[in-house]
Amino acid sequence: MRILALLLFLPLVAAAEPATVIRAAELKQEPATDAATLATLPESTAVEALERKGGWTRVKASAGEGWVRMLSLRFGGATTAKPGASGLTQAFNVARTGTSGTQATTGVRGLDAEQIANAQPNPAELAKLEKFAADRDAATSFATQGKLSPASVAYPK
Amino acid sequence: MRILFLVAALVFAAAAQAQFRMPNFDINKMVDTVKNVGKAVKDIDEPEEIAIGRDVASRLLGAAPLVANPGMQRYVNNVGRWLAVQTERPDLPWQFGVLDSPNVNAFAVPGGTIFITRGLLERMRSEAELAGVLGHEIVHVLRKHHLKAIQKGAQSALAGDAAAAALRDRAGPARDKLIAFSTEMYSRGLDKSDELEADRLGVVIAARGGYDAYGLPAVLQTLQAMNAQDSALALMFKTHPAPAERLDTLSEKMQPVLDAYSSQPQLAERFLRQVKK
Repeated sequence: MRILALLLFLPLVAAAEPATVIRAAELKQEPATDAATLATLPESTAVEALERKGGWTRVKASAGEGWVRMLSLRFGGATTAKPGASGLTQAFNVARTGTSGTQATTGVRGLDAEQIANAQPNPAELAKLEKFAADRDAATSFATQGKLSPASVAYPK
Repeated sequence: MRILFLVAALVFAAAAQAQFRMPNFDINKMVDTVKNVGKAVKDIDEPEEIAIGRDVASRLLGAAPLVANPGMQRYVNNVGRWLAVQTERPDLPWQFGVLDSPNVNAFAVPGGTIFITRGLLERMRSEAELAGVLGHEIVHVLRKHHLKAIQKGAQSALAGDAAAAALRDRAGPARDKLIAFSTEMYSRGLDKSDELEADRLGVVIAARGGYDAYGLPAVLQTLQAMNAQDSALALMFKTHPAPAERLDTLSEKMQPVLDAYSSQPQLAERFLRQVKK
């Protein structure tokens, strides 16, 4: 059970992403404004982003490890984009190829501008789409299972 | 300026009429025609919005089918419908579909149909991130961003009476043209201001659903970290402002909301369980 839980969390912690501090940011011991400040990271500091908790991201910097405001980071190092390398992507691919292999039945797979512009109706898929729809009650009990409580939040002006 | 516009509209409407004959030029009739076309296209009511949406959805499904995973499709529908219930249009026939495409994108169709690609879904880490993206798309439907663009475009894409005919007659050739035009719009994108509005209000909708409000910014950071040259991103980057600009705008305008609802659940485990199956 413990291992399972660990596996589930793996993608959240395993993928260290290179990031840059875009405005000077305090490196905090905990993900909270009132937590102890370990250092101040100047603009353009290169860090590794490890995980996110609310509006905070845990980073590894040369000044140490701690939490910075998530929106003070810009992701993507100079050379380091690794498309498709996240844990979830891999798990996803395993799941896909593990069950039915790559189903090459439909030919056109892409959704680029040209394919959209030239698309023809697909009523069979539309019927499937309608079948999967959730009604209000189902969605509400789904939310309850996830312990989601609705909040009253106004739109910004 | 206004007069010039009216004259241009009149000439346009006149040219659209097959029986255009200068000698019998009837200014009153012409003014009526302009009014009718304008009215027909402007006053698309909700049933018509839904009908147009169905036809457009069918075409998008022609470009990429649904992922053959009923559990995943139902899961995304539950998340999406729960969010839609928190909005001012809770009773539209909302439906959500995961399209089997490696491209990273999501689409909102008038009347309550939302698509997200497998390519985008598999780069997410939690239900809160999914809620952020679905919230953004739901706003496009709530605020009728695409419908308004269709209305605007239909008048120039379909000449004169044809626009009215396309709405009146759901099976004619004019209708086909309207739907083709509406579908093509997804390859060109909306106004930037619509996208930024969808970001701001999408964050609110995810927070209303009880999710960690930072889901959408987290996805935007993921996109930012991807190689911009990746062809899977081409259309999304062409039709949306750059992730950096979207993040800056959210940070500037939405920081208080984001922070007030940042400790709500992310539901990473449920997401991974459902999406991996």
